Amino acid sequence: MNEILTQEKSIYLQIAGMIETDILRGILLEEERAPSTNELAKQYAINPATAAKGINILVEEGVLYKKRGIGMFVAEGAKENILERRRSAFYENYVKKLIQEARSIGLNREEVIDLIRRNGDERS
Amino acid sequence: MKMSTIDTLVCRELTKKYKDKVAVKNFNMTLEKGKIYGLIGRNGAGKTTLLSMLSSQNPATAGVVEWNGENIWENPNALSHICFSREINIGTNGSGLGEMKAKQYIKTAAMYYPNWNQAMADELIEKFELDVKKKLNKLSKGMLSMITIIVAMASKADFTFLDEPVAGLDVVMREYFYRLLLEEYTRTGRTFVISTHIIEEASDVFEEVIMMKDGELLLKENTIDLLERSYRISGLAEEVERMTAGMEVHNREVTGRSKSVTVLLREGQQLPRGFDVTIQPLNLQNVFLALCGMGE
Repeated sequence: MNEILTQEKSIYLQIAGMIETDILRGILLEEERAPSTNELAKQYAINPATAAKGINILVEEGVLYKKRGIGMFVAEGAKENILERRRSAFYENYVKKLIQEARSIGLNREEVIDLIRRNGDERS
Repeated sequence: MKMSTIDTLVCRELTKKYKDKVAVKNFNMTLEKGKIYGLIGRNGAGKTTLLSMLSSQNPATAGVVEWNGENIWENPNALSHICFSREINIGTNGSGLGEMKAKQYIKTAAMYYPNWNQAMADELIEKFELDVKKKLNKLSKGMLSMITIIVAMASKADFTFLDEPVAGLDVVMREYFYRLLLEEYTRTGRTFVISTHIIEEASDVFEEVIMMKDGELLLKENTIDLLERSYRISGLAEEVERMTAGMEVHNREVTGRSKSVTVLLREGQQLPRGFDVTIQPLNLQNVFLALCGMGE
């Protein structure tokens, strides 16, 4: 978790997102202890209440769970859970915006698809 | 003792008048134990006067301050739980403060606080590499800030106020201060009120923000809640006007056909959808500028 906090999104959403990314990257493993509210507060110099808000989102989504008296842990299946949600959000967050921008600058559907294909070619 | 007054510092109708100026006006506020508050306002808004009355360093013209239901005025028990570590100003008064050695200043401060933690003070003096044998008028502004931070931290007071603690500190020391503050806060649950002009870098530390304008309380609100109801809307002037009709609007800017406004949603209000405008979230500094800037 070496990202820098920005103004783009609420801090607690960024905290939740960074923990998710750490799980996807294998930095945090399932059934392993997640950073505590106080650790996050100190690491990012943010109010613990804000950090707790980020953690609570992940608890609600079933990514983290609480072990009483010990702390927060990464749930079994958390990685798959995050991937599923990110995939279903992919259309809302990326595709929709892409199409919106394409429309406003007069690119049609075929041109957009062509651009995506071409980007794939360049990388290979 | 009533349940509702446990671990609170409350001021009611607090007012301070000087000869020709009202510095603080009918201030009503409750500070709860276990929160970090940010106090922001322009120069002359009355922040220092407010903090000095909340700590009984300055008598109020009217109104009352209560710690757990007890009036704090001339109340040593109540005052042992409240610390206001003031900004040290050498130049402005000829009281000979500047001739005092740093060590003496800290020692004097220590006498006011029964829960003073000398080990913590010593540790911070070492961390800050503060030469306590020097006279205050020989210390830089940053070093004077460090002294006020040491006094605030080591006082161990339940309600601790810091007036511009990071003024004069470089960015490394400011970062260190926020971490130190958060560490002390998470360990003890003390309440801190911090005034600052460097709003943006401190905003993530504040659970609640208290905004003051012309001696009055403008708002006191959870920082995240405030930011989540504040937006900058811009676009074609008519479109922006249609969208924001009937909303709380600040800081209007018109350039040619375009218009930008800051809106603060009221409780339960949602941003209307379906308008061709650009919507941007705001940071705390921008909200402050919208509410207290020159245009308002």
